[in-house]
Parts: sequence; C-alpha cells; structure tokens
Amino acid sequence: MLQCIFILSDSGEVIVEKQMVGHRVDRAICVWFWDYVLANAAGDPSKILQVVVSPTHYLFQIYRNGVTFLACTQVEMPPLMAIEFLSRVADVLTDYLGDLNEDIIKDNFVIVYQILDEMMDNGFPLTTEPNILKEMIAPPNIVNKMLNVVTGKSSTLGSKLPDAAASFVPWRTTVVKDASNEVYVNIVEELDACVNREGVLVKCEAYGEIQVNCSLPGVPELTMSFANPTIMNDFTFHPCVRFRPWESDQVLSFVPPDGQFKLMSYRVKKLKKTPIYVKPQLTSDSGNCRVSVMVGIRNDPGKPIDSITVQFQLPPLIVSADLTANYGTVDILADKTCLWTIGQIPKDKAPALSGNLRLEEGLAQLHTMPTFQVKFKIMGVALSGLQIDKLDVKNTPSAPYKGFRAQTQAGKYDVRS
Amino acid sequence: MFGLQSSGAAASWVVGRMGTDAHLYDDPDDASIPALLDSRFDADKVDALKRLLALIAQGVDVAHLFPQVVKNVASQSLEVKKLVYLYLLHYADKRQNEALLSVNIFQKDLSDINPLVRAWALRTMAGIRLHVVAPLVLVAVKKCARDPSAYVRKCAAYALCKLCDLLPDQAMALEEIVDILFGDNSPGVVGAAALAFKTVCPSCLALVSKHFRKLCETLPDIEEWTQIILIEILLRYVIARHGFVKDSLLSAEIQGINDSDPVASMPTQHDSAGNGFCGTISNIMLFRHYIEEFSGFPDGEGDSLRLSSVTTSGNNDVAILLKCTSPLLWSRNSGVILAAASVHWIMAPIGDVKRIIGPVLFTLRSSPDAAHVMLGNILVFAKTMPLLFAPFYEEFFINASDPYQTRALKLEILTTIATEPSIQAIFEEFQDYIKDPDRKFVADTVAAIALCAQKLPSIATTCLEGLLALVFYESSMSNSGHFDGEDAVLVQAIMSIKAIVKVNPVSYEKVIVRLVRSVDKIKEPVARCLIIWIFGEYNFMGNLIPKIVPAVLKYLAWTFTADVVETKLQILNASAKVIMHCPEEHMEEFKRIVAYVIELATYDLNYDVRDRARLLSRLLPCYTTHLGPSHHPPNGDICKELAYHIFDGKLQPSSPSTNNYRIYLPGSLSQAVLHAAPGYTPLPKPQSMELSHNKIIEPTRSNNSVAESGSSIYESSSVYDSESEGDGLSDRGTDASLHHQDNQDVPLVHIYDTSIQKGQTGQNAEENFADLISTDLTELMSKSALESWLAEAPADTLVQNSLQASSARVAFTNHSFERKPKLHTLLDSSDSNGLRVLYAFSSEVSPRSRILVCVDLYLENVTTQQLTDIAIKSEEASSGVDSIGQTSEGSVSVPTIVPVEGIHSLAPQQTEKMVLEVHFHHHLLPLKLSVLCNGKIHPAKLHPDIAYFVRPLPMDLNAFLCKENQLRGMFEYARRSVKIHLVQYDHLDKLEHSDKNLQVAHSVASKILGNTNVHLVSMDMPVTFNVDDTSGLCWRFSSEIPSTSKPCLITILAEGHASGPLDLTVKVNSEDTVFALNLLNRVVAIIE
Repeated sequence: MLQCIFILSDSGEVIVEKQMVGHRVDRAICVWFWDYVLANAAGDPSKILQVVVSPTHYLFQIYRNGVTFLACTQVEMPPLMAIEFLSRVADVLTDYLGDLNEDIIKDNFVIVYQILDEMMDNGFPLTTEPNILKEMIAPPNIVNKMLNVVTGKSSTLGSKLPDAAASFVPWRTTVVKDASNEVYVNIVEELDACVNREGVLVKCEAYGEIQVNCSLPGVPELTMSFANPTIMNDFTFHPCVRFRPWESDQVLSFVPPDGQFKLMSYRVKKLKKTPIYVKPQLTSDSGNCRVSVMVGIRNDPGKPIDSITVQFQLPPLIVSADLTANYGTVDILADKTCLWTIGQIPKDKAPALSGNLRLEEGLAQLHTMPTFQVKFKIMGVALSGLQIDKLDVKNTPSAPYKGFRAQTQAGKYDVRS
Repeated sequence: MFGLQSSGAAASWVVGRMGTDAHLYDDPDDASIPALLDSRFDADKVDALKRLLALIAQGVDVAHLFPQVVKNVASQSLEVKKLVYLYLLHYADKRQNEALLSVNIFQKDLSDINPLVRAWALRTMAGIRLHVVAPLVLVAVKKCARDPSAYVRKCAAYALCKLCDLLPDQAMALEEIVDILFGDNSPGVVGAAALAFKTVCPSCLALVSKHFRKLCETLPDIEEWTQIILIEILLRYVIARHGFVKDSLLSAEIQGINDSDPVASMPTQHDSAGNGFCGTISNIMLFRHYIEEFSGFPDGEGDSLRLSSVTTSGNNDVAILLKCTSPLLWSRNSGVILAAASVHWIMAPIGDVKRIIGPVLFTLRSSPDAAHVMLGNILVFAKTMPLLFAPFYEEFFINASDPYQTRALKLEILTTIATEPSIQAIFEEFQDYIKDPDRKFVADTVAAIALCAQKLPSIATTCLEGLLALVFYESSMSNSGHFDGEDAVLVQAIMSIKAIVKVNPVSYEKVIVRLVRSVDKIKEPVARCLIIWIFGEYNFMGNLIPKIVPAVLKYLAWTFTADVVETKLQILNASAKVIMHCPEEHMEEFKRIVAYVIELATYDLNYDVRDRARLLSRLLPCYTTHLGPSHHPPNGDICKELAYHIFDGKLQPSSPSTNNYRIYLPGSLSQAVLHAAPGYTPLPKPQSMELSHNKIIEPTRSNNSVAESGSSIYESSSVYDSESEGDGLSDRGTDASLHHQDNQDVPLVHIYDTSIQKGQTGQNAEENFADLISTDLTELMSKSALESWLAEAPADTLVQNSLQASSARVAFTNHSFERKPKLHTLLDSSDSNGLRVLYAFSSEVSPRSRILVCVDLYLENVTTQQLTDIAIKSEEASSGVDSIGQTSEGSVSVPTIVPVEGIHSLAPQQTEKMVLEVHFHHHLLPLKLSVLCNGKIHPAKLHPDIAYFVRPLPMDLNAFLCKENQLRGMFEYARRSVKIHLVQYDHLDKLEHSDKNLQVAHSVASKILGNTNVHLVSMDMPVTFNVDDTSGLCWRFSSEIPSTSKPCLITILAEGHASGPLDLTVKVNSEDTVFALNLLNRVVAIIE
C-alpha cells in the first residue's frame, strides 16, 4: 500500500504531491531523499537503488528524463508492485503528455493529478490501462487547448464511464468508433553485446519488442505467427495475448487494445556477430596514454547503420585529454565523459579516434581501463532475424491495411579496453 | 540568425504552453480564490480549484478554504466535482467536522444514474475516513457490491479496505461482502475482492476454500496488480490447507532436517547435489523462516509436525494452482512473474522448478527498474539450486551501467553458480573486472575469485598466479600513493591468496615464497601484516619456505622500528612462531635476531608493543634454553604448552560467511530491505486450517493497523515479563490468571495482559510462552528497531499501546457487586393516613417493552388498621397509557406509567411490593402520581433517576475502544477533577484485598454499579512501583439507551494517590448528547 507519490524535479524540488491514504506523509521525506541522493550518487537519482530505506518510510523510486517518481510506504508490500506501478505511471504520463520532463508536468498538473487519482486508490493500483484512462481523462490535444484559449473553458474529464472499465477485456472498449481500419506492427530490437579486453565477443543477444498500433473497428480478432518462433529464448506478453495458442502452436492470438501498445517482448540469445566493430587500444607509458579507437562495419546488415556514437568515461587521474577523430565530432562532457559522434560510417575511410591522455604527476601507467559504450541504429531490419510470417485479422467489416516495420538499435553494447 | 532561432524556440514554447494550466501552476495566487469559489459559474470554480490544486502541489497549506470548497461538492459539473474530491481527500483527515457537510451529497450521488458518479462518490466517501460516517459507508458498500456496473463493484471492494480500520467490530459484515465479491462474474471485481480480502481478513483462509477453484481459473484474467495479491493468497491457502508438496524443493529441505542431527543431513546434501540441488544448513534455516511455526518452535517439537504436513504433487488444489500460475510467468509485469515464480519454487515438484528460471532471468532485461530487487531474489533461488542456474552465468556478467549494489549481487550469484564448465569464462570476466575504475567493486571481485578457487580447486593455481601478479602490480601502484581504494584491492588480493593457500599450504609453497619475498615492496600496513602473518604461520612447511626464513627474519628485524604498531605486533608474533619451529642449525642465529627484536620492542613507544615483548620474553626462553637442563626454567613445559597454544593453535576453519539475511519470503519488501518490515507475515503453518466454517469468526486478528500487528505480541510480552519480575501486584495477578485456567470458578479479580489474552484464544498460555521465548532474536531486534524508527505511527494507537503496556487489567464481573437499590420515599406515612410508599429503581427489564423503566414500590402499612383499595395512577393522563407501546415513538413525550392493579387490602405492618413500569421519555422532572388509599387521593412525586434509564450493553474492551473512538468530539462530555476522599473507604479493609489501589478500584466500581444500570467493561490498574499511586486507574462502563439503542459509554480515569484525595475524570460518550450530559451529571453525583 503506497501512502503517497511525489514527483521530483532533477534538483529535488517537489513538482506534484499526491497523498493516497488518510494518514499523510510529510514532504520532508523528499528533503531526506534528496540529501540521500546527493550523498550517495552526487545528485544523480538514476544511480540510486529503487528501494531505499529511510528512517521513517520505505521509499520506491524510478528516474525518467530528469524526473524522479518517489513513493512511500511504511508496511510490507511487494516492492516490484510499487516499482512497476511507478514505471507504469511514467509510461502513461509520457503517453498523455507526449514527453516527460519537469515543465510539461507543471504545465499539465491538473491532468497529472486526475491521472494519479484514477490510477491509484487507497494506495493500490485502480485503473492502469491507458485506453480506459484516456476515455476518462482526455489527453491534452491541440483541439482541447485551442478550445481552452478561445472559449476559456474546457473539460478534460470524460462524463461517462468507459465501457471497457467494466468489460471482460479491460484493455479494450467494446465499441471503437471512427477507426481508420489499419494496423501497424513494429519490431524494435536492441542489441546487447559485450566485448572483453581480449576483443572476444563474450555475449551478444537481441532484446526485442513488438509494438502494435491498432485502429480497428469493433472487436477484431488478430492472429500473428512467426516464420522462426524457435529462435526466441524468453518472452513476455501483453495481457491480451491468449496463452493456449502460444503454448501449443506458438501463435499469438489476441483482441488488441485500441491505439499503441506493446504486444510482446522477447530475447534472442547467443547471436554470433555484431554489425559493427569497435576496437579501442590504450597504451600507457611514462605518464602518457595513447588512445586509439577504430570503428568499422563488420557485418553489413544491408541497411545503413545510423547515429553511431562511442562514449566512454575518461579514467580518473587524468590531467588533460587531447582527442581528435578523423571523422565525426569528439566532445568531452562535464562529467568527464568523452562522446564521439560518428553518424554513418563513410564509404571511403575508417573512422578512427586518436589522441593522448596526460596522467597525473608520478603516475607512469593507467591502472584502470574505460569501457566503451556503443550506440547505433539501423532502420528496416531486425538483427535477431525474427520474421513475422503473417497477421490475420478477423471480425472486421472490411480488410484492414496492415503495415510492418523493423528497427534495431544498440542496447547495452559494452566494449572493454 | 541566432536571435531569430531563439525567438522561434520561445514562440514554440509559448504555443506549447498555450491552453494548458501552466499559468495556474506558475502563479496560483494571482486571483482571489475565495471569490472564484463563490462564483455562479462553473468555469470560475474550476479555475479556483485548479489554483488550489497547484498550491497543494507546491506544498502550501490551503486547508482554511475547506468550508468554501466543500459546498461546491453539490455542483452538477463533473469537473468541479472531481476537483473538489481531489481537494477533499487531501484535507479530510484534518478537517473532519467540515468534511461531514459533504456526506449528504455523497449519499445523493450514490443513487445517480451515471456509474462514474456513483463510483466517485463511494471512493471519496470512504476515502475521507470519518468514523462517524463509517456505518453509512458500510451500507453504501453493501449496496454498491451489487451494483450493475462492474466498475462500481470494483470501487466497493476498494472501499472495503478503507473501512476495515474504521469499523473493526464489523469484521463479519466486511467478510460477507468480500465473500459476495469473490463470487462476482467480472474478473476485475474478483481481483479487487482479493485485495479487500488481504486487507480485511487475510487469515480467514476458509473463505477462500469455497471459491478456490474459481479464483484459480480467473487468475490469468484479472488485472496484473491484483494477480500479485491473489497469487499470494492462494499460496497461503494451499499451504494452510494441504501443506507442502512432498517432492518440492522446500520439503526436500525439510526432510533434511528431520534427520535427528544436522550433521547427518550433510551427506544427503551430496546425494542430492547430483540431482541439481544443493541443500546447506543455511538453506534449511531459510526455509524454516518462511513458515510461521518453524521460527517459533524448538526443533524437536517442530519436526514431528513436519512429517505429517506434507502432501503430494498429485493433490488437486496444488496442481490447479501450479497450472494457473505458470502462464503468468510470461506476464509483462515483473511483480507477477516473481510472485508466480515463488509459488513454483515453494510448491512445484523439484523437476518442474526449472521453468521459472528463464522468465525470472528475462525480467532483468525487460524491466530494468526491477533488476536489483529481482537479483536479490535470484540470489536466494540460486543458492538453493545453483546447478539449475549454472548454464545461465552469462546473464550475470556486469554491464558498464550497473550500479555498485547490482554488481555486488551479480558477483555473489556468479560465485554461487560457478561450475567446472563455466568457471573458465567466469574467471576471464573477473580478470576484466580487475581493470574497472570502481575499485570497491574490484576488491569484491578479488574476494569472489578466492571463493571460486576454494569451491573449484582445479582453478586455484591459475587464480593464485593472477592474484600474485595483481599483488605485485598493485604494490607498485599504491606506492605512488594517489588513489583511494587501491589499498583495499591490494589487501583483498592478499586475503584471497591467504584463503586459497590455507587449504593446502605445502602445495602452494612457491606462492608463499614469492609473496613473502615481495614484502619489502609493500608499504600498506594491513597488507604487510597479512604477509608477515602468512610467513609466520607457514615458516616451517615444505622445502622452500624454511630456506628464506633467515633472510626474511633479518629483514623484519631491520625494518622493525620503521613499521607501524600493528605490523610490529605481527613481526613479534611471527618471530615467536619461527623460534618455536626453528631447526637446530639456525637456532643460535634466530635466537639473536629474535632477542634483538624483543629488545627493540621493549623500548617501543607503544605500550601494546612493550606488553607483547614482555610476554614473549617470558614465554620464549623455554625454547631457547633447552640445551642445558641446568638452565631449564622451572615451568618450562607449561611455558611450552602455553606458547604452543598461543601461537600454534589450529586455526578455526572459518566457513565462508553463512550469514544469510535474505530469510524472508521471495518477493516481499522485507526480503529487499533485509529486515522484517511491519506487516510481514510468514507462510501459515502447513495443514493448519480446519475446514469448519466457524473459523471464519476466529478472533485472532484483532486489528488491521498493520504497523503493529506483527510485533505487538512480542512487545507486550516483554513488558509482561518485566512486570512480573518487578512488581508484586502483577505477580499475584499471574497466579490469579493461571489459577483461573485450572478451575472454572469465576474469581473475583484476575489480572491479565493482552498477550495472555491473545494466547488464550488459540492455545494455552504455556505454549504461547514457548513461542515467545524461542523467537528468533534478530528478528525481534529488527522489528523493534524499526518500530522505533517508524515513530510516525498514528497517535491513538500509540496511546493504546502505552495503555496496554503499563497497566494490568482487573476484571470484576458484574455479579461481584451487590446492587443495593437506594430507597426513596414516594409517600410519607404522615401525609397519607399511615401508608408509606418507598420506591427504588430496578435494573430488571420490563416484560412489556424495553423502553419502560421498572420501579419497585414498597407499600407499607404503618398503622394498626387495615388499608384498602390502594392504587397508583398517573396524575395527568390516565388515558392513552394502554397504547404505551405504540405511542412510544410518537410525539407524546409525557412520562406515562403502565397501569398496575391496585392492592385490595394491606394488613397492618404488612409490606407489599409492587412493580411500576414507567415510560419516562427521558424526562428528568418528577413524575406526578396519585396514590389512592381508602378512597382518598394522595399526590406524590416520583423523582426519575437517569442512571436507570439505560440498560447494560455487554461488550469487550476492544469493541468499547472502537465505539469510543467513533464517538469523539461533539459526542463526548467530560468532567474533570471530581474529587473524592478515600478515608471513607476504610471499611473496605475487611475485604480480602489489602491493596489500596484495589480498594479504590473496587469502591468506585461498586458505587457506579450499585447506582446505575450499566455494564462494567474493564478496570485498568496502573502497574507501578509506587503502590500508593493510583494515576492511570481507569474504569469503563457501557450501556445503551433503550429507546434508540444508541450506545452510551462511561469512562472514569483516576489521578492522585490512594491515600490522599483522588481526582477523577468522568467522561461520557454518546450520540444522544443531551442525555449524555445528564448522565454525566448523575454519575458525578453518584461518585461524590
């Protein structure tokens, strides 16, 4: 049972306070929390654990885009319920407001209050399905805003209980009107890889999500099957997916919610190769450290590899760093992070970063080695090789338009040096 | 160009904010909020309410506008309504009386045609948590539980949770509603019902039994949050009903402990290790903690219970539960996955447990926020079945973005699951980690390497090589003295070497030699100490080490003065060890060196070093002077023995830290924070449930304020213990209560404490005590520590606690007081030709109607002649009295009497008793009667006594306190400093109690009970060392007003000394306030 939820800005200021039960929690707890963040993570809440024990309360916190969602309880409750709920709140707010940051929450604080009140009652999640919430509390769209400006009044509240709140399929309203009769399926994969100091690929796997944007009238029945379902090692499903057909035939059968949702997430382990290589080399000698990083395409996925960046934390005990690249830009950020933005790899040359790190006086060699974090994005391909075989839509008056997309980006891609 | 861009950005920013409530948040105070609230237009009201909300968000207290806001609750606009509700819920607990104003609107809204309005009204009405309206809410919930809209029914279930602390005495009614909701068709409602069940009556597992199958089948369809709750309920039910599964991991462990001694169970561990499961003593401890009973009972007793409490996996209920929870392992919610995994881990047959591993590991990637909590649980799973996790070691490789705590957990899991096939890869990873910038993590890695090497000796040599290289490298690094944490890595590396070498020192002698040879390069004192210790410990072993001893010893003697105190002590120890084992040929040389070292130490600045030197100089001669028997010191042998034990005693094999603090159920908060959070409940005792349905009424769970439920037993019991030691009074009380158990007579007094009271409900007191004494101490500590942390507990429970803690309760039964009715004169003999009529109020209940008050009339003929035709009539209306029953509720509120038959004749000196039934209508004015006698009419006045207008209402203390809580504020009248003197009670000495407190208690109670028609609920005695001090003495009486059936509670509190004047505070709580005030006056009059 959560006693209250606070939304904090990235300077520890309380943006929104929502008490959940009769016994109120003083916002002094936020001050305590922020002192804790300052003491333990130098003011960066993303480095704090999700469960924190304060002298008076147990705190749960998650961090998104400079905004901390903080919840308090004093009694036993499943911690994952609190954490998952907070991330659901963050997701719903992002979905509603288009983005999530301090200003946007302040600008729409009434909606935030209404959403929080509907999502949680007496410290326990009440309505968390975005579709139903949207019918109870209208998202701030441009029409609403203009109405507000022109007429000076508007209501964000739906006057009527959504049918779905009471239906057997809580994620879908029974009648979806003015649907454009189309369904889009988007496979988004993240490639996790780990290359050790010897240059050996220790681990390489793809974490994928199938996102569906569905705008179909009535109560449609969808069936999706894969060409190669066996390559998936793990999966989780949206509650709309029926377990039986998946267990027996590995077919996804579901009545979709209206709008955007995550149908499933999966993981394909033990991939053999990464699309690009990053070869860092650090040699230190008598107070100097030569850095050289080479980046190139190892396995051409057939589509352009975009927005490649390589990022690493400069080792401590460095007096100065002089790093240049023959392609792209090199920035050294405030927290001693070096960010090399490459973009696309050019045809004619191999991007390379090189330079010199000057070590502190009396230090001959570098004793710690940085880990290089690689980012990239490839549109139009799922690197795991997962393929959707077909998508059947039943129960619709006319055949809907079906669209498919795929993209892969780097997830936790670590190259150690 | 630049200016253009920035103005463009500003413009888009303005557009983005246009039409939002941004201006309200930025400047909520720029308009007069009260004026807007009173506006006729909804738009203005909305504006004002939004401003208020903005102020709340910014932490400004706007409670003073409460009255103006509340009246807007009647608005027709849904938006206004919703905003008012938001405000109301935020402040209701502060402004209870004003919040009452809104109740009528809620009542009205509850019958609105829009289900959303009904739901909101119900949510808010329950959410404002007013004791006074709680009964109304209960009625509303009952109604809404049958609402056509599932959303409203769901909200009804949520409202139940809010009600349960407000209406603790209505537990039965609440349970009934839970029962109804469990049977609902809509999965959403069933889920909410599970939540209500958990809050309202978590121990009434019998309630689950009739819905069990249906609940299991609905489980996959209900909402994810309630799935977490329902899974837990079902698990508890199955365990309480059927016990554990015979071939599950958990009961396999239990079988292990059933072998009479723990050592014997070790071999079984190896047997099962081949199976993929490895049980260790700590695992067994872990499982014992999960179950309520196991942590309480001494071993022998518990074992016998266990064998019988095992079921097979073929059991239907178990099978259904497992079947219905397995698809949930694919949930998108990590909480659901963990809950389902816990069920399988506890209940599934060993062979099926592995299905949880994949899903559980996947959550580390799919819900990154949950990763740390999940890892904590995985660690527990992995410790009990390391081989099942072994193939998945790659999951636990460290990412650059992992925070330190996550890394530490991953390392621990890696060491737990490392096996021969995987160790190579793991070891390579570890080598990478050594270069990590986080040196604390590096030190942990080095420690982990040692643990792996101890577990898998095949890699020990490789590990040692790596560690030695690390030591050499680090020693060169740390000499430059720049870095924090570098020393820790070095020290940890040497400690790891020490740990690995210890297993078989002779075979690693080369390593020892190389390490010892590097001692001159290492400056870090702790590291030097460790190396010197290793040198001393193994100086005589193998072939190589003895060869370097002379050189090292010389070196140590040489650097002695330059070292720090700890190192000096270690050098002294090492020299002693060397001399004890030194071969003949080096004896002379070593003697000289050691003598030199001791000499240096004797003149050291530090007294510890000097002391050590003196000790050695007394002990060591027995080794150095054994050549000539003439020089043999008198106690040589003893010295040798002593020295041997000091310096050569076998080291205790220090087992790798068996402290496992993750002893709480997987998925619980307690497991994540490593102490029992308030409200944590272990699994029920296996097969403890009886299927009789009376169990539902079981009163074990007295309150739901979870913060205290877990620990109250311990607390009060410890208080009880100290009391019985320190105070004669409660000693006697204990005897009395024990005595009470033996014979069934009702004793006059028995003193008991809450713990005993609780104990009596389930088991006898002795069992209860055993339970308490053997309770795990650490658990107790952490609980009480946390209690003291959580000082924010609601104030009234604190008061209640302290009451329970410091007072014993004296129970007088109502029968132990004689009611001596006081006789009043109705008619004096002088006025009426010799007829004397006396009257007394009686506590009898009239057979005609409960609202009639019985008055006993005693008619006595004091003359010598016969008196005839005596009758008593009401002076005014002699009509209408027949229909007393009907008119009672009517507007006629004149006191009336029920006609009674007259007495035909009364002989001289004869006394006749007559019962007069009067309906007073709560009038306190004298009732005019006419007494007919010998044909004459004599007017008479009957003075009503309000103390007899009430009827006793038996209730127990808890019920009393609850009722009292509901009747606070305007329903409470109190009169302070009612003084009484105790001198008048001296006559009580003849009673068997000599204790003054008891005397006081008894006398006041008898006064009240003798003169009013009430029920004595309890009498609390202060338990203090000062016997004379009566402060805290407290009486509680309950009664009800017959005409309205409203309870009327009387509390009397004493202050002062038993020997001096006593200050009493009398308090009456009743909804009928006028009546309460009158009653209060009367009670005060009685006492005085």
